[in-house]
Amino acid sequence: MARGAVAAGEDRIWLTGLGLVTALGSDVATTWPRLVAGDRGMSPLTLFGTAGQRSAMVASADLGGVFPPGYRPKEWSRTSLFAWKAAREAMVGAGLANIDGERLDGRRVGLVIGGTTGGMYETEALLADLHANPNRTDSLVEMISQPLTATGDRLSGALGPFCRVRSLCSACSSGANALIVGALWLLSGEVDAVVAGGTDGICRLTLSGFNALAATDPERCRPFDASRKGLNLGEGAGFTVLERASTARARGTKPVAELAGWAIGAEAHHITNPEPSGAAAARVISRCLRRAGLSPADVDYVNAHGTATPLNDAMEAAGLRLALGEHVERIPVSSSKGQVGHTLGAAGAVEAVFSALAVKEGIILPTMGLEQPDDACRLVHVMHRAHVSPVRAALSSSFGFGGMDTVLLLTVPELGPPQATALRRVAVTGAAVLTPHGLDDGSGASTLVDGSRDLEPAAAAGALAIDLTPLLDVGRARRLDRPARLSAVVVERAIAEAQATGSPLDGADVGLVLGTAFGSLDPSAAFMHRLFEKGPRFASPAEFPNLVPSSPVGHVSIYHGLRAASLATADLGTSGESAVVQAIELIAGGEAGALVAGSVEEASNLIERIRFCLYEGAPEETRSAPRRQRSEGAATLVLEAEAHVRARGGQPLAWIGAVSMWSELAPESLPPPEDPSAAHVVLAHDSADARVLVARSGWAGAKCTSVAASCGDHEGLGAAALVAATALVARGVAREVLVIGTTQGRGYAITLVSPDPASPALPRVATP
Amino acid sequence: MDLPLLKNDLKALIVKELNLEGRDPASIDDRAQLFGPSQEGAIPSLGLDSLDALQLAMSIEEKFGVRIPEGPEARDIFASVDSIATYVASANVAPKPSV
Repeated sequence: MARGAVAAGEDRIWLTGLGLVTALGSDVATTWPRLVAGDRGMSPLTLFGTAGQRSAMVASADLGGVFPPGYRPKEWSRTSLFAWKAAREAMVGAGLANIDGERLDGRRVGLVIGGTTGGMYETEALLADLHANPNRTDSLVEMISQPLTATGDRLSGALGPFCRVRSLCSACSSGANALIVGALWLLSGEVDAVVAGGTDGICRLTLSGFNALAATDPERCRPFDASRKGLNLGEGAGFTVLERASTARARGTKPVAELAGWAIGAEAHHITNPEPSGAAAARVISRCLRRAGLSPADVDYVNAHGTATPLNDAMEAAGLRLALGEHVERIPVSSSKGQVGHTLGAAGAVEAVFSALAVKEGIILPTMGLEQPDDACRLVHVMHRAHVSPVRAALSSSFGFGGMDTVLLLTVPELGPPQATALRRVAVTGAAVLTPHGLDDGSGASTLVDGSRDLEPAAAAGALAIDLTPLLDVGRARRLDRPARLSAVVVERAIAEAQATGSPLDGADVGLVLGTAFGSLDPSAAFMHRLFEKGPRFASPAEFPNLVPSSPVGHVSIYHGLRAASLATADLGTSGESAVVQAIELIAGGEAGALVAGSVEEASNLIERIRFCLYEGAPEETRSAPRRQRSEGAATLVLEAEAHVRARGGQPLAWIGAVSMWSELAPESLPPPEDPSAAHVVLAHDSADARVLVARSGWAGAKCTSVAASCGDHEGLGAAALVAATALVARGVAREVLVIGTTQGRGYAITLVSPDPASPALPRVATP
Repeated sequence: MDLPLLKNDLKALIVKELNLEGRDPASIDDRAQLFGPSQEGAIPSLGLDSLDALQLAMSIEEKFGVRIPEGPEARDIFASVDSIATYVASANVAPKPSV
C-alpha cells in the first residue's frame, strides 16, 4: 500500500490544531519558546488571600487580555475562559474556525472537555457570602450555575455548534482522557473532527486540599529531585483538534503529530497514594504502546506526570523502568510541572500538547527545578536545558487521585500501523439499581416501570431508608462516602448478576464509569465552611479527595479491585445516560473488555434549598406541579464486548442497539422497532420534551412508561431507566426497549435489544 | 494532664476521624502499633496509612492545640496511643474545646 493510504476499516488520529493557556503564556506561540528556554512560571498566588496556607507558590495563568465576544463575567468561570481561549486557538490552527470563533465549514465537530474544579473558584465566593449570611438566596441559587458541564455550554455558545459534547473527570488524568474519547469518536466515524482538551483554574479548595495533604512545596517544585517536597498548583488549559488522517488529508491539512496510542487504567490501590511498585502504571504504559503497535525501542522521549511529590516521582520512575525495560537507560524523561505547575484536570491535555510539539520540533524538554536526582528516580533526566534531538514517539503520562492512570503516545505521522475503525458489539450482562424500594437487579427491575411500585412523591423523597452496612465490608469501606457506598452496592450486585453465567469477571478487565450532575456539592460546601471558620490548617486531608467528581469511581474501583478504564462523566439530568454511552464507546472502541457504568446521586440539603428558592421565586403560573423533593439512588449496568462475554461463557441479558446523543439527538434517525407490540419505551423523567421525541420516532406506537414514578426524582435516573429496560428485555416483557433522557434541550436515546435470537445492531455507525 | 483520660480521648478521636466503623475505642490497646502492617508476635496493628496520619495530626491539633511535626519525628510520635499521649501531655497545653 502506498505510504499514507488508509485501508477500509483502518485510520489514524491526527492532531491538526493545538491551543494552550499556561503560566508561561496565553497561547502556543508564547508558551512553547519559554518552555524550551526553561522559564519557570511560578510565583506567590495573588488571586485570593493565602494566610495560613502551607504553600502559596503557584503557576498562575491569564488570558492575555482577550475575552469571548459578548463576554458576561457572571456566565464565565475562569476555567471556562481558559478553555475557550485554548480551544479557539486549536480550532483556528486547524482551520476549523476563524479568530471570531465562526466556523469555516459544515463538518460535524464534537467537543470533549476534561476538568476537575469547573466553576469552583466562583462558587467559593458564593459560599463565602453564604458563610457570612446564611440567608442569602441569590448566592445560594447561583451555586449550581457553574457545574462541570458549564464549560461545554459556554464553548458551545462561543465556538459551536458541536454535534456532541462530553464533560468528563478522572482527576489529574482528565485532560488526557478527553483526547482518548475524541479519538474513539473519530474511529467510530460519527464525527469529522473533535475539539478535545482539559481545563482547570486554581481555587481555594484545591490549594487548601493539596496543602492539607502536605503534597505541596512552599518553594518552586523540584520534580525527581532528592530534596523534592511536593507540587505547585498550576492552571490553564490545553486543547487539540483531532481528525482522522483520511479526512485531514482530503482537505489538505498537515498534522502536527499523530495520536498513535493510548490506554486508560485504574490502580485500585489507594485514594491519594500511587501504587508504589509502579506495576499498575507500567501496565497502562505497555497497553498504550500495544495499542500503537509500537515498542519501547520506538520511544524517544517521555513527558512524565512528574508532580514532584515524593510518592509520585518514585512510583513513576519504577513504572517507566518496568514498562520500558533496557530502553529506560536511553530514553530521556522530563516533567514540565517545574515550569507550568500541576494544572490538574488540564495537565493531561497541556502535556499532550507539549509532547506533540516535542515530536514536531524535535526538542526534548527539560525538568526545571531538578538539581540532584533522587536515587529512587533513576532515569535519563534532562536537566537545566532542552535538547535538540529527533523525537519519533513521545509518551505522556497522567496519574490521578483514586489511581486513574492514562498514557498517550504522540508520534510523527505514520510511524506505526493505523488503528482499526471496526466497532465491537456491546452486551448488557448484569444490572442493579438502588431505589426507595431497595436493591433490584437486571432481572427484578422490570416492575419499576409496570406501575405496581409507583410511590407518592413524599415516599420517595430524601435519603434512601435502606441500611447499607450489611451490604458492605465496613472495614474496607471506611473511606467511602455516601455516593461511593451507594455505588459500591449496585456495582457489586450488577457484577454478581453478570457472573451468574459463565466464568467470573477478572477485575483487571473491568472498569467503571459513573455519571454525576454536580459532584460532591454538600461535602464541598462543608469543606469550604470549615476553611472559612478555622483556616487552612484545619482543612480536612481525608475529606479533600472525596470532592473531585471522579471520587466515587476511584473509591469503588479500589473497593472492588476494578483495574480497567475508569472515569466519571457529567451531564446534568442525563448524567446516567452520558456515563453508559461513554462506557459503550470505550468498549466498542476496544479500550475495555467490560465496564460497569451508571450513575449515583445522593440526597442533598443544598440542592433542596436551591430548588426551594427557584420554585418559590418562580411566577405562580409557571409552577406546573407541586414542588417535589429530590430523592437519591444509584444504578449501574455491566457492559461487555461481545468477544469478552463469549470468551467467559456468559449470557447477555440484552444487546446495546442504537445510540444517539446530545444535540444531534434525532429520534427519527433511530431504527424503529421490528414489532411495535413487543417494544417498550422507558423514560427517565416523564417530561413533555421526552414525549415529543418519542412521538417523532418510529416508536410512537410502543408502550411508554417512566421510572420516576417508582424511583423518585434525581439527575441520575437515566441509569435506573436503563436497568429497568434491561429487565424488560431479560424477562421477555419486551423484545426491544428505547430509553430516552433529556436535559436542557439535549439528550440521549439508547435502545436495548433482546438476545434471543441474537440479531443485535451495532452502536450507530455513521456513514460519512 | 490526666494521661488515662487523654488516651481515651485519643482513641475516640481515632475511631471518629478515621471512620473506624464498629470499632470500640476502648478495644484499642495503648501500645498497639497504629500504622503499617502488624509485626510478628506483637499486638495487631491498626493498619492505618499516611492519609490517616495527616487527618490524625490535623484533628489532634484542632482538639488539643498541639501541633505534630512533619517527617521522621511524627513517625515516633504516631507509634501508638501511648506515644501520642506522651507527646501531647508533654506539650503541656490545656485541652482546647473542639469548636
